[in-house]
Amino acid sequence: MKKNEIIIIVGLLAVSLIGIAAFYLINATDSPLSVRVTRQGEVLGIFPLSEDRTETFTDASGFNTLEITDGSAKMVAADCPDHICVKTYPISSPGETIVCLPHKLVVEVITGDS
Amino acid sequence: MTSKAYRLVILSLYVAMALILSYIESLIPLPLPIPGAKIGLPNIITLVSLLTLGWPLTLLVVIARIFLSGFLFGGGFSIVYSLGGGLLSLLVMSLLLHFLKDKISIILVSVFGAISHNLGQVIVAAIVVQTTSLLLYFLFLMVLAIPTGIFIGVTARELMRLLGKTTIFSKLNLPQKK
Repeated sequence: MKKNEIIIIVGLLAVSLIGIAAFYLINATDSPLSVRVTRQGEVLGIFPLSEDRTETFTDASGFNTLEITDGSAKMVAADCPDHICVKTYPISSPGETIVCLPHKLVVEVITGDS
Repeated sequence: MTSKAYRLVILSLYVAMALILSYIESLIPLPLPIPGAKIGLPNIITLVSLLTLGWPLTLLVVIARIFLSGFLFGGGFSIVYSLGGGLLSLLVMSLLLHFLKDKISIILVSVFGAISHNLGQVIVAAIVVQTTSLLLYFLFLMVLAIPTGIFIGVTARELMRLLGKTTIFSKLNLPQKK
């Protein structure tokens, strides 16, 4: 491996890390936050992050249970085969997502409370 | 043995090894905050196959591995995401090896392969669930793809070096690689 290849690799690492930092900086806000739950682009519901609640979304493919506590949202249960959504860390910043690919469900933190 | 039959044997070996690596990978949970992230062990075989059989046969290896591992360990739904990642990754790695053959190391090819694998999967996922908000997820995957890509690249390079000392590839009529 040559020197310029190491530079390329470091560059790629920098691009991704700066990208993540920029993403959080651009989306940083003081306004109230909500989570938007969509299935294949169709909005199933928007819930403010400020109040604790538990919602279950069911369709032919199965169910996902979303829990909002202390200003963050987490998928607490699902009957999908991979359970990637359940393993996802709680989300609380604008733009963060929880995705359940088998059930085509997306939970996203958005700015605003309606 | 004719060269054609020999090539078929090597091809089948690659598919079998890639399949086993897929299975081993599914047994290793990564203790990371990024769900769905994988090491990419089958990519070792993809790289070795690209360097020894060329891209048309490697395409067969990749497709066979994805369908077999999808049905055996993944559940059918995962196949479409794996295909998106696997094919984009193969395309990027083939192009890099084709145009920059002597100027690029296997390690860098592997890193680009890992990143494009994630990109392909995220694009397919974004289409399937119809969302545009997976950019942050992709960036996290990209950070992780760099160390795993380096690891896979080093492994593939060492494997090529060791296998190059044997006579396994000598019947494939390879253009001699350093």
